[in-house]
Amino acid sequence: MRHYVIAGVLVIVLAVATYAGLMAVHLMPAQASAQAVTIDNLWNLELAVISFLFALIMVPLLYSLFVFRRRKDEKGEGEHIEGNTTLEITWTVVPLILVLVFAYLGTYTLGEVLAVDPNAMEVDVIARQWAWQFDYPQGFSSKELHLLVNHQVVLNMKSLDVLHDFYVPQFRIKQDILPGEITTYRITPTMIGDFTAECAQLCGTGHTYMTATVIVQSQSDYDAWIKAQEAAAAAAAQTPLGRGQQLVAQNGCTGCHSVDGSSTGIAPTWKGLYQSQVKLNNGTAVTADAAYLTESIVSPSAKIVAGFQDNVMPKTFGTALTQSQISDIVTYIESLK
Amino acid sequence: MEHTNHSDLLPDVLRQGIVVFVFLAALTALEFFVAVEIGTLVLLAAIAVVKVGLILYYYMHIYRLNSQDGDLDRHEYQYKLGTNRIGLWLFLLSDSFIFGGLFVSRFNLLGVQPIPLASDSQYIALTITSVLLLSSFFMNRAEVSMEHGSRRGFVFGIASTMILGLIFLVGVVVVEWPSAINAGVTPSSNAAGSIFFIMTGMHAFHVLTGVIFLGIVLRNGLRGVYSPERHWAVEAATIYWHFVDVIWVFFYSALYLVGKLI
Amino acid sequence: MKKFFTSALIRGLLWQLIGWIVGVLFLTGIRMLMGLPPLVSGQYLFTEPAWVFGALVGAVSYVAGTGAMTDWFKWAKGEDVPEHREDPPGWEKYINVSLDHKVIGIQYTVTALFLLSIGGLFALIFRAELAHSGLQFLSLTTYNTLMSLHGIIMIIGILLGVAGMINYLTPLLVGAQDMAFPRLNAFSYWLAPPATIIMLTVLLFGGVDTGWWGYPPLSEQAPLGMQMFFLSVAVAGWSSILGALNMLATVLRMRTQGMTGMRMPIFVWSAIATSLISLTATQLIGLAFQLVMFSRMLGMGFFDAAKGGNPILFQHLFWFYSHPAVYVFVLPGFGIISELLPVFARKPLFGYRFVAMASLGIALVGFLVWAHHMFASGMNPYLRVPFMFSTLLVAVPTGVKFFSWVATLWKGKIETPTPMLFTIGAIVVFLLGGLSGPPNATVATDLHLNNTYWIVGHFHDTMFGGYIFPFFAAIYYWFPKATGRKLNETMGKIHFWMMTPSFLVLTLLMMRVGLLGMRRRVADYDPALGFDNYHLVMTIAGFLIALSVLLFFYNLIVSVKHGELATDNVWHSRSPEWQVPSPMPVHNYDRPFEVVGEPYDYGLPGSVYVKFKENKSKAHK
Repeated sequence: MRHYVIAGVLVIVLAVATYAGLMAVHLMPAQASAQAVTIDNLWNLELAVISFLFALIMVPLLYSLFVFRRRKDEKGEGEHIEGNTTLEITWTVVPLILVLVFAYLGTYTLGEVLAVDPNAMEVDVIARQWAWQFDYPQGFSSKELHLLVNHQVVLNMKSLDVLHDFYVPQFRIKQDILPGEITTYRITPTMIGDFTAECAQLCGTGHTYMTATVIVQSQSDYDAWIKAQEAAAAAAAQTPLGRGQQLVAQNGCTGCHSVDGSSTGIAPTWKGLYQSQVKLNNGTAVTADAAYLTESIVSPSAKIVAGFQDNVMPKTFGTALTQSQISDIVTYIESLK
Repeated sequence: MEHTNHSDLLPDVLRQGIVVFVFLAALTALEFFVAVEIGTLVLLAAIAVVKVGLILYYYMHIYRLNSQDGDLDRHEYQYKLGTNRIGLWLFLLSDSFIFGGLFVSRFNLLGVQPIPLASDSQYIALTITSVLLLSSFFMNRAEVSMEHGSRRGFVFGIASTMILGLIFLVGVVVVEWPSAINAGVTPSSNAAGSIFFIMTGMHAFHVLTGVIFLGIVLRNGLRGVYSPERHWAVEAATIYWHFVDVIWVFFYSALYLVGKLI
Repeated sequence: MKKFFTSALIRGLLWQLIGWIVGVLFLTGIRMLMGLPPLVSGQYLFTEPAWVFGALVGAVSYVAGTGAMTDWFKWAKGEDVPEHREDPPGWEKYINVSLDHKVIGIQYTVTALFLLSIGGLFALIFRAELAHSGLQFLSLTTYNTLMSLHGIIMIIGILLGVAGMINYLTPLLVGAQDMAFPRLNAFSYWLAPPATIIMLTVLLFGGVDTGWWGYPPLSEQAPLGMQMFFLSVAVAGWSSILGALNMLATVLRMRTQGMTGMRMPIFVWSAIATSLISLTATQLIGLAFQLVMFSRMLGMGFFDAAKGGNPILFQHLFWFYSHPAVYVFVLPGFGIISELLPVFARKPLFGYRFVAMASLGIALVGFLVWAHHMFASGMNPYLRVPFMFSTLLVAVPTGVKFFSWVATLWKGKIETPTPMLFTIGAIVVFLLGGLSGPPNATVATDLHLNNTYWIVGHFHDTMFGGYIFPFFAAIYYWFPKATGRKLNETMGKIHFWMMTPSFLVLTLLMMRVGLLGMRRRVADYDPALGFDNYHLVMTIAGFLIALSVLLFFYNLIVSVKHGELATDNVWHSRSPEWQVPSPMPVHNYDRPFEVVGEPYDYGLPGSVYVKFKENKSKAHK
């Protein structure tokens, strides 16, 4: 009898200690959304049950290994106990009830997380290999996702190629993005600050670096940003350079080509590219003049820079973009000294 | 599975086989009519279920799956026969999962929309379906003949089955497929074309392997390898052939009858 | 040396090469006749369909070349074939076609260890890269390939190891001379080497960048290596299916007298549940991969949204197998745990009936949960709820087993030689894996956890606890039965105590970084996240695990010839195979036995499980 009492006490002690330990190490990132709070509540409840079950198995296991071990020169076998039907039924039925309770709680939590705010604002998200584009209802595109604190937003997401996934750990939700159909991501950010959205569905070579900045702002900062973007879009539409810069943002070029000279491992940087000498993979060298830049957009396989691969850059830009659009992009690339 | 060697069993089993065949044929005709004229999926599904039930009944009761051979030595032929039967049924259970997956995919991709084949496809399909059902009749006849030592019946049955099987294959590959392609339903046109070709292709592949299997069995049978007491290969080929036929019974409905076409 | 080069293993390789070339040329010829371009400019000269067809012909040629199909060809020609075949006495039987389930079991096991080592090697390479943030020596594409191959090679390795355990043990445990279909058994094994070769050629054909799942649309754009990947899985899958068929037929038809369902060794129940899954669900991954293969070669649009296809259909087909597959991985391991605990606790297995039924319960419920891998996929949002229920439900029969195991130990008289250490280790490690499951089952929490390192930690714990640890336990335990010698106990203990803490640290840290937001399948991570130290420790842990496995291999090699002699019932087990001397006689039981008592009545004086008959069994033809 005393074995049961001792083990019982140890189970409770270990369960509490485990739970306390888990809560103390701050397992989850910051809670930056309303949904994060709901999800973390369910998570903490699950941690409690996990702690208890962990103790419930570990204690009798270790206790047995220690107390019921065969001592040196001890003979004999263990106690001949074949089973205990009541106990077995109990440890089938009680977990079954626990499972149903958690399934209910899970359903309820999901409902809360998906709750629709009729005043939610909408932003379109376009994911492609390997860059993000955010299209605002005000008519401009952005590489960064700016959100208004305490205001629900619905992201209407689609992919231009393979599966992607939008995920911000501090928001706690992720959603796959499909080609050919829109998936939605609904979030109410509650913390002002900068976060990183990461692609969370393997999408090929550039998956590791397919990230975007998410900036949650106060009403005044957000409004200011919107105004600035609208103004910039309007101004940019006036000049080839501005249009080129917009087109680059809209077509995800900087997912692979950096503009600051850094190496992405996928494609050559544009900084200082114009009029430089480029070594190709066949050993020859060419000057990166306007003709070269244009050809690289329209027929990417015509010349491959040494150290990079063929068949990575999409071959569709030649038909997807007009000649003047391509020329604007080339103008922009030329400007990056 | 016990078969006594009394000759009066031949008409009995054969009669039951004929009855089942006639029912299947009648149900298929009913399916065709229902699908084409009335177009309800539920009724089609019900008929399909009845067909499956009939086939299972045929095998469970007429062939009596459970054998009472536990007392036999494991090395005796009769015991091994039981083991072989279980092995074959396990294999068919496994194979049916591929067909099940294809069947489900058809509905996932197209819902209950019909595949936009040419109008004469319906009649070609009804014809080749009848051919395949008829071939199962001859297959059954061949096996029963072998069991009762009727060599002529066996040869005639197998040959007829093979010929009808080949007619089915020609019907699919040489008639139906070009007809579909002409109607714009190709493997690469869209999801409907893709699912049509993969389902008919996968099934035709199984018919082809069945015909090859039958060829081997026919050749060995002609050379006297089999006897009424020992002809496992014949029984195996028969069960495999019926399986391929049953699969078609479902594929035919899914590919041609779902949705009103005429 | 000569024996090696004339073996089936090497002969098959030659045939595979020839078959591959013949297949490539044949299909290229057909293309020419059809007026299609026979060659492609660029990388691999021949077209993709030619390479794929060649690989298929190569695989079949390998198996035919070994001679594993020769008897069947003879039957097809109407010729008689002797029932049994005696193997040559030496080591060469292991690299040739043998019909003996014990030889086949060892062939499977050694091949499994080989594949697990390759998979582990790939992991060590990218773990070295991940030890620090920034890309040090791997390119993004090489990382993707190594990571993807690590996954699939481990999975195939596990399937082969499962086949090894089931093949070696089942006839011994049910009192049969061999499996129901010995030739099918040999054929099933010999599918594994060509499948392995094809998988390794992925590296030659541009690699893969999709992870082991091969999701379209990405897999439709991936390099030619993707096709080799798919084909290899298809070939290995057939090995799995046919092996399962054999197992089920054996259990249904080859049990000895008196062995009713509830008097079978418990491992047999696990093997039944495993085989029911392998037999049926495996076809679906074959189908899913086949559809992508054809999409690539014929432009079929099953998963192409532009053609009315649905990428989520692939996921349904794929996971319909791949979830039950994880139960294929762990159910045999659970069976090993249930089998070994009574021996080392000297106590009956607690609640045999419930434990046996729990195996079937896990298999059944396991078929109903697959979409929990797709909660973020864009599938119908309401459909996620029933899958949440069914996924949580699987915890019930799993819990029954865990409680039964603990109850078996309680009030026992426990000894802990190495097999028992690994058994206990399995329970502890799987406990962590299993407990990290329910948060993945509840949809809302899964939206945070899915595709992060939390999942990676979860499945590594479940795989090691459910398969790897029991696999080691089984090898340490049955090594004397197979060889007549014991593995070195000291080395075994070092293996265990080096592997277990390292593994726990590895997976707990995986879970930690995953919770903090680290995605899976990435070659690099932002240093600002502060994960560098965690990753360094994880990499060190990985290398320690590898070191412990090397020690294990050394132990294996040395002990075969020089291990401590162990020709009797070294573990004092009641199980039938231990009632005959070791190594196991070639025909297993020269005198058949009858079951006269319960399998696990340890502690009941005078109780007997099996009684051997006086007469020798009927002559082997």
